[in-house]
This record gives sequence, structure tokens and C-alpha cells, in this order.
Amino acid sequence: MANIAAQRIKREFKEVIKSEEVAKCAIKVELVNDSYTELKGEIAGPPDTPYEGGTFVLEIKVPETYPFNPPKVRFMTKIWHPNISSVTGAICLDILKDQWAAAMTLRTVLLSLQALLSAAEPDDPQDAVVAKQYRENLEMFQITARHWTNVYAGGPHVNSDCDDKIRRLVDMGIEEHQARAALSSYNWDLERATEQLFS
Amino acid sequence: MASSATETTKESSTSGSGSGDNSETKDEEKKDDSMFECNICLDTARDAVVSMCGHLFCWPCLHQWLETRPNRQVCPVCKAAISKEKVVPLYGRGSTKQEDPREKVPPRPAGQRTEPDPATAGFPGFGFGENGFHMSFGIGAFPFGFFTSTLNFGEPRPGAAPRGTQQHLEEQFLSKVFLWLAVLFIFWLLMA
Ligand SMILES: [Zn+2]
Ligand SMILES: [Zn+2]
Repeated sequence: MANIAAQRIKREFKEVIKSEEVAKCAIKVELVNDSYTELKGEIAGPPDTPYEGGTFVLEIKVPETYPFNPPKVRFMTKIWHPNISSVTGAICLDILKDQWAAAMTLRTVLLSLQALLSAAEPDDPQDAVVAKQYRENLEMFQITARHWTNVYAGGPHVNSDCDDKIRRLVDMGIEEHQARAALSSYNWDLERATEQLFS
Repeated sequence: MASSATETTKESSTSGSGSGDNSETKDEEKKDDSMFECNICLDTARDAVVSMCGHLFCWPCLHQWLETRPNRQVCPVCKAAISKEKVVPLYGRGSTKQEDPREKVPPRPAGQRTEPDPATAGFPGFGFGENGFHMSFGIGAFPFGFFTSTLNFGEPRPGAAPRGTQQHLEEQFLSKVFLWLAVLFIFWLLMA
């Protein structure tokens, strides 16, 4: 069966490379090793979302039972999204779990993930803190997601207010990402973030 | 986006007057190829079957998909409900055997149970086993195997040490010890 998996990934790999989405730089796949068991995916942040202009790298692991079971996919690029863990990059998406179908391909998986960035499902969250912010303070969520896209995915929108607050915490000896995560979780309330970090 | 792309290729092929026909037929051949590809392995479908929703698969591929998710039997392409009974086998022209591909996948092999080997299973129970069954087995099997090897003086066993060496003497000694042990057991059996 490992043979079927490798054969299929080879074919899919060619298919993705030729696809028009690659021509438009929307998705990309690269091999990590020669055995076709691990790949590196890339998706562009969809336009009109806080992820616009960012490039998000994905770790794709192909199980021996592929395509009868889904590939294991995780965000390597840190991202602020209700259905993606801001800590581990784990993804909550039905087609990567029980809604997987054997005719789906790397291309459809990457496109589905791109669609997930456009349309979050806060009622089925992976990251509870992000999902709460999304539901209760959408504007704050968008500011935070755009800031993360800028810092981790190369997005164009610099937010000097966020950067200033992080710098103040870094000056107090907090690690930069830890400071960003704490501020993001507390709606950029410097006081509460500081309290949480030093408690 | 997909539609706009095909439109542009059509335009270009009609504008290129003479060679237009040729490239179009080539395109069609390519399409035909992928039309008969299995939706699971993406290779040309072997032992092809079609689901009621019209999707083509190799029977072995579809069979494995159905086996992987026995509780959720859906078409791998469109997720319509499917079942083993409701797929149509495809027979191409000139195929000699018109057998149903669904019969070709070997039925699931029955579970195989091998009984534990009495010689090895018996030995651990041989000393102070709590298990009566094991104990009697060990005693029964052990001395007999032993007699056949020890009382077989006539023909030299392969690997037996040459007479007179230290190893030979040790072997002889061990044989005697075991012979005595065997006798003691038979005696003990008779008494018990
Ligand atoms: Zn197949
Ligand atoms: Zn179907």
C-alpha cells in the first residue's frame, strides 16, 4: 500500500505543479524527501482577509494508507485563526478528519485550507482563545490576525501600536513571541497581559 | 477562472486556421485518457466499476475505500451514498472474460489460529507449574524425546563430540543426569 501512496503523490505532485493556482502563486508544493512521504506546502493569504499578502508554510505528512486516509497537515507559519492552533499550528478541518474522501488531492487540500482562511468557523474552534475574540471582538481579531501575518508570514501591514506594546514587554525581559501571544490573548491590553505574564 | 482559460485556448486554436484541427484532436485524446482514470489511484482504471453517481474506480481501489470506512460508505468523489452491491462493472470490447470484477477481489481471509506448540508450551510448566495441564504435558513429552536421543547409541549423532574429549565426557555425564531425572519422574508419576 505504501506503493499506492507514493505513486499517487508523484502524480499529484505533477498535477499541482501544472495547475493554474501555482501559476497564480496561490499554492505551491515542494518535496522534503525522496520517498514522497513528507512535503512542504505553501498557500497565499486570500485577498480581502487579514491574511492577504502573507505566505503560509504547511507541513504535509503522507501516511502509508494514503489516499484511503487523509494527509497530516499542520501550519509551520504562526497564524492567528479560530480553527488553527496559535501554539502548535494544528488544524481543525473536517476534510482532514472524518470528511476525507479518497478522491481528494494535495491540490484540493491546499485550496480548502485557503478557503478556511477566508471563512473561519468559530463554532468549531481549534484555538478557543482566538475563537472567543473572533466572536466577541471581530475588529480586534482582524487587527491581531493582520499583525501576525505581518510578523510571521511577510504580510505588508505594519501595526506600530502592536509593535510598541510588544517592545515594552520585551524591555521587561519577556521573549518576543510570548509577549505577542499574551497581548493577542488580552485584546492588546498591556496591563492585563503584563499581569498574566508576571503572575 | 477555469472557464476563461479554456475560452482563450479555443480562440487561439480557431485563429490558427490550418493546424487547428490537428491540435484539437490531440486535446481530445488527452481528455479521453484522463476520463478513464480511477478517481482513487489516478491511474487507468483496472477492473473498472462505476458508482450510481457515475464515478469511475478500479474495483480494488474502491473496495479498499469501502473497507477503510465501513460506517461511512460514500463516494470518494461526490460523497453520495454508495455500496458494494450498487456499483456497475464495466466490460470493454474484446475482453475475453466477462467476469464481474467484484468477484475478483479475494474474499477476506479467515482468521488463522495456530495452536501453541506442545513441546515449548509444556516445558515452562514442568517444574512447579500451577497449571496441571501444562505440568502433565511437560512430563509426558519430555522423557520420551529424551529416551530416543540417549538410547540411540548405535549411530553417531551429528555434532556429537569425539570420544574421550572433555566435551564428550560432559555430554555423557549430562545424559546420565537426564536419564536419572526421567526415571525419577516416571517413578514419581507412578506414585502420585
Ligand atoms: Zn484505482
Ligand atoms: Zn460520486
